[in-house]
Amino acid sequence: MRIDFEQVSFSYADAGTQKRRGSKRGRRNAGATPSDSLERHGQAAWGNDPDELWALQDVSFSLEPGEFLGIAGHTGSGKSTLIQHLNGLLHPTRGRVLVDGADLADKAAARSIRGAVGVVFQYPEHQLFAGTAFDDVAFGPRNLGLDADAVTERVERALAQVGLDVAAIGTMSPFELSGGQQRRVAFAGVLAMDPQVLVLDEPVAGLDPAARASFLDLIKDLHAGGLSVVMVSHNMNDLARLCDRVLVLSQGRQLFLDVPEAVFAHEEELHAAGLDVPEAQRMANSLRARGLALPTRLYATAADLAAELAALYAHGDEKAAGRTAFSSPEPEAAEPEERP
Amino acid sequence: MTPLVFGRYYATPSPVHRMDARMKVTLLLAYIVVVLLAANPTALGLCALFTVGFYVCARIPMGVAIRAVLPLSFIVVVTALINLFWTQGGAVLLSLGPVHVSEAGVYQALFMGCRLMLLLFGACLLTLTTTALDVTDAAEDMLRPFSRFGLPSHELAMMAGIALRFLPQFMTELDHIRNAQASRGAQLVDRSLKERYGAAKSLVIPLFVSVFRHAETLANAMDARCYHGGAGRTRLHVARMGSRDFVAIAVLVAMAAASTAAGLLL
Repeated sequence: MRIDFEQVSFSYADAGTQKRRGSKRGRRNAGATPSDSLERHGQAAWGNDPDELWALQDVSFSLEPGEFLGIAGHTGSGKSTLIQHLNGLLHPTRGRVLVDGADLADKAAARSIRGAVGVVFQYPEHQLFAGTAFDDVAFGPRNLGLDADAVTERVERALAQVGLDVAAIGTMSPFELSGGQQRRVAFAGVLAMDPQVLVLDEPVAGLDPAARASFLDLIKDLHAGGLSVVMVSHNMNDLARLCDRVLVLSQGRQLFLDVPEAVFAHEEELHAAGLDVPEAQRMANSLRARGLALPTRLYATAADLAAELAALYAHGDEKAAGRTAFSSPEPEAAEPEERP
Repeated sequence: MTPLVFGRYYATPSPVHRMDARMKVTLLLAYIVVVLLAANPTALGLCALFTVGFYVCARIPMGVAIRAVLPLSFIVVVTALINLFWTQGGAVLLSLGPVHVSEAGVYQALFMGCRLMLLLFGACLLTLTTTALDVTDAAEDMLRPFSRFGLPSHELAMMAGIALRFLPQFMTELDHIRNAQASRGAQLVDRSLKERYGAAKSLVIPLFVSVFRHAETLANAMDARCYHGGAGRTRLHVARMGSRDFVAIAVLVAMAAASTAAGLLL
């Protein structure tokens, strides 16, 4: 399944009128600049901050089938707004969103892809409601109109996918489960819709390190199983490690859209946008700035950096390290002086 | 994103905004009495003129005022319609079977409609120019005399203040829950009653869970700050009456006098 964003702009101020007038106006204006006054004066027709008016401005990208796309951006950069466009919960004020060529502005099209694009919102455990974990996971499939056998089969599969046993927790109230289990059940509730695209908004926020790691592994496995994944995260380490491409939003605009190697090469621009690069990358950059001859590449994990450093020193040639001081056994000499 | 609440506080620098909230509440009550006692269209017209004057003093644009009142104008319409059909007298203008519309009915409908509209504009002026916190503080002060008879005025005001504070919060959360459940195919329209019940349940239960979660957190946060009820509590911003409050009294007395005079003379 392929999702195309074509110059999507969205304004919450306009959302009300949008609902009433339908989205024809939005389609007619596809490709137009968001606002004349914005263009001319760099300032919105009303309000103080043009970026408050436009939650998204001219965002264009394609999600290829089977891709793992990361979305990064500071708080309020439009990430959550963008996500709601992916399954037709919000419609662009200008521009359009196509899923396999069908415009989501069409209500019937939007409804038909609700199951195919599964969105897991932030803190999904806050949406649990049913009397038992089974019923909660079954909510989606039942809404799709499946019969009881198919529902049971889907629930069992979805719970197995998130590493839970339907026999053990199926009859328990979701509120009796631990926080991590609640999130898994809520996650299973979306997987039970049998989506082809999985959209995750900060999936590991508020989890302890062990739960984080196992949750990210789970996401990786689902992606390996053929799902397209869109993941919003503040954690650049996770994005660099997992994503095929990263989309960086800043104040509703598309700052970068590229492979992690290219995106995380822009350390300064990312800093300016309130973001960061992966920790290993930052370490590598500062080692290189101090004269170490590390190759320019993406260092997504500490293991990447360790491997390069090991390769550098394995030659036994101290010159390869650029500075002899680095391999000197004396501790004072090993501390390189600060560069201005 | 930002749910429009009826007459939400509109911040502008104006003498009306700076008035003592207790005075504003008192004067609103007086205003309601004056408008309800306005005997004829001239008196009501004078009240309307004064009301426009109040809005000008408060520096609230007409558009904002109308948008604040509009969601409640259905009350006006319903009242006007009831008056239209229930008041009989004078020439019959229109007959539909057993229903007759008479001259007196039309007059009464218009008169009552305008009167209610003025009341709504008056009430909105209070909420547009006064923060919810100030209104609840004012209510606490004004109810204090009754605490002698066992009325927990501080507790009532605190509860009202907390409820108002959390209203937008819960609106936002309901929005999030609705999005999440809609993504799982929940629909409140075009479905059978049973499915709609299921969808409504999927919204209400998480919202209740969230209400209890917030209540517990808030209670802990208040305990941590040694909150122990109203006794001996002082305020950071103490409301004091100033000259503008007395000017406001004078203006309202003038309005009452003008309206009464118009009612007696015409």
